[in-house]
Amino acid sequence: MTGDAADSVPPIGRAQTAKGGHFLETTGVSAPLCPSRTVRASEAGRMNVGVAHSEVNPNTRVMNSRGIWLAYIILVGLLHVVLLSIPFFSIPVVWTLTNVIHNLAMYIFLHTVKGTPFETPDQGKARLLTHWEQMDYGLQFTSSRKFLSISPIVLYLLASFYTKYDAAHFIINTASLLSVLLPKLPQFHGVRLFGINKY
Amino acid sequence: MAMAAEQWVLVEMVQALYEAPAYHLILEGILILWIIRLVFSKTYKLQERSDLTAKEKEELIEEWQPEPLVPPVSKNHPALNYNIVSGPPTHNIVVNGKECVNFASFNFLGLLENPRVKAAALASLKKYGVGTCGPRGFYGTFDVHLDLEERLATFMRTEEAIIYSYGFSTIASAIPAYSKRGDIVFVDSAACFAIQKGLQASRSDIKLFKHNDVADLERLLKEQEIEDQKNPRKARVTRRFIIVEGLYMNTGTICPLPELVKLKYKYKARIFLEESLSFGVLGEHGRGVTEHYGINIDDIDLISANMENALASVGGFCCGRSFVVDHQRLSGQGYCFSASLPPLLAAAAIEALNIMEENPGIFAVLKKKCQHIHKSLQGISGLRVVGEPLSPALHLQLEESTGSREKDVQLLQEIIVHCMNEGIALTQARYLDKEEKCLPPPSIRVVVTVEQTEEELEKAASTIREAAQAVLL
Repeated sequence: MTGDAADSVPPIGRAQTAKGGHFLETTGVSAPLCPSRTVRASEAGRMNVGVAHSEVNPNTRVMNSRGIWLAYIILVGLLHVVLLSIPFFSIPVVWTLTNVIHNLAMYIFLHTVKGTPFETPDQGKARLLTHWEQMDYGLQFTSSRKFLSISPIVLYLLASFYTKYDAAHFIINTASLLSVLLPKLPQFHGVRLFGINKY
Repeated sequence: MAMAAEQWVLVEMVQALYEAPAYHLILEGILILWIIRLVFSKTYKLQERSDLTAKEKEELIEEWQPEPLVPPVSKNHPALNYNIVSGPPTHNIVVNGKECVNFASFNFLGLLENPRVKAAALASLKKYGVGTCGPRGFYGTFDVHLDLEERLATFMRTEEAIIYSYGFSTIASAIPAYSKRGDIVFVDSAACFAIQKGLQASRSDIKLFKHNDVADLERLLKEQEIEDQKNPRKARVTRRFIIVEGLYMNTGTICPLPELVKLKYKYKARIFLEESLSFGVLGEHGRGVTEHYGINIDDIDLISANMENALASVGGFCCGRSFVVDHQRLSGQGYCFSASLPPLLAAAAIEALNIMEENPGIFAVLKKKCQHIHKSLQGISGLRVVGEPLSPALHLQLEESTGSREKDVQLLQEIIVHCMNEGIALTQARYLDKEEKCLPPPSIRVVVTVEQTEEELEKAASTIREAAQAVLL
């Protein structure tokens, strides 16, 4: 995940196996042993090697996949750059907007949308659970959960700095941050306030 | 100019930091402490509601004694005194070396020994070998499978059909493919064991209604409707199913399908019909209960049947609309994760279907024979006939039970042994006593097939009558 990955052209096999690293652990295939040229040729014929998994609910492990944290950071960076390129937003407005849009998207995808888009073999155990509640099968304070809890706080600290601690921006940013921090508390696991989003 | 502007902005930023309001800085301090707390907190599982402390768990583990691998059973246990059948269970069956007329096997149309069916199976065996060596999705689909599915779909006049390789797992896979946790299933209390296992696998809420009692089912549906009105958001995500059998194996009765269809449209539930015994038996052309009542097949959401009875093959099928049946191609556990039907059995089933389509007269013949035996078996002292005149599988239960199930089973077994000595092969209806939800009383199951002649039917009736008199009086 260093800058080298962008500069050099890694062999296709190695990149593929790198992304599917945790899949490799389960199947025991060791592709990096092959030299790069022949790997490229044979990879085309064995396209789906190492992709089978026995995970009952893949939603639980998607946030632990290799490279997803970096992708998340890049995505937030991209959002920020796009907002910066709009000419009539000043810097404080851009930062508040980044914060608010990021928190809104996080709230929708992690704390609103329930269940899985695919059928799971456990007869719908996670049908009423949000993605946050499904992560790691409900295990609290795993590394992905910590990462996703810390990232809105970091964004908030940056936004406060760049808005020069203005009062109006403070209210908006703090409300947005609270809306995304509270559902992550272990006390709020499975809690649906006022029956909203219960079924 | 640009550089100076940047530096000026940065200086302003840092200046703003010094002039920041106190509440904001305090909040930021709290947040930084929160980050530190998060980074150092340990992973833990949310406490499951377990009422036992660790000490109590240890005590329970200490107390536990393993049960013997083989529980002590009496010498008379039926599993230890079994009959040995030599050869196929056809019309003339050889039990323990004695040739009897078969009144025990579900060979309703006599297709088990049919030379055409055997020839088709043999030709298929020579062409494909025995097994398919794979599930349907992994090199286990042969053209005979697709042919059989198409033929069954056209025969039942539905859009699509799907084949399973084991009759029991047909309905046991179909139910959990559609009904999940949180869904509600209304099922008849006399449902067969396969349906019960399917319901158990589905993890849904099961509501049993009294056997063939439409009023009881309506009461349950009304209660559910009241619940739904109290919580409409929950009701919107809950699926409701009604599961019935066309011809019940445990009681030999036919389900009241027209009323069930009316209830289905009134209370918005889906009907799954299990036609294992009625396929190839009821109806003018053998299409089952829907043809028997003249109901449009599109009113039934899924029909499931096994091909091990009238069709004299192995396996089962589900048929219905393409939209419904296609779902099972990925969600039917018995379809995706079991080896597919051996092609010789699929070819045998196709040939059996051909025979059924060529002579639709056999269904009327079977019906007459069923009515004949139903009449002949009436009035046997000590035994009561359970089942409709149209049902080819009747039950003979003791009119008054002795009080203990074992004694009842023993008495019936004596009747059966008596009949077997006279050349009539009968069997008792067997159940897994501890696993059944509503265990039916012990009974002798009498099965009528097309191949039995009138004399044989009369002989069977009189033999049973004598045996009952000898044993019970």
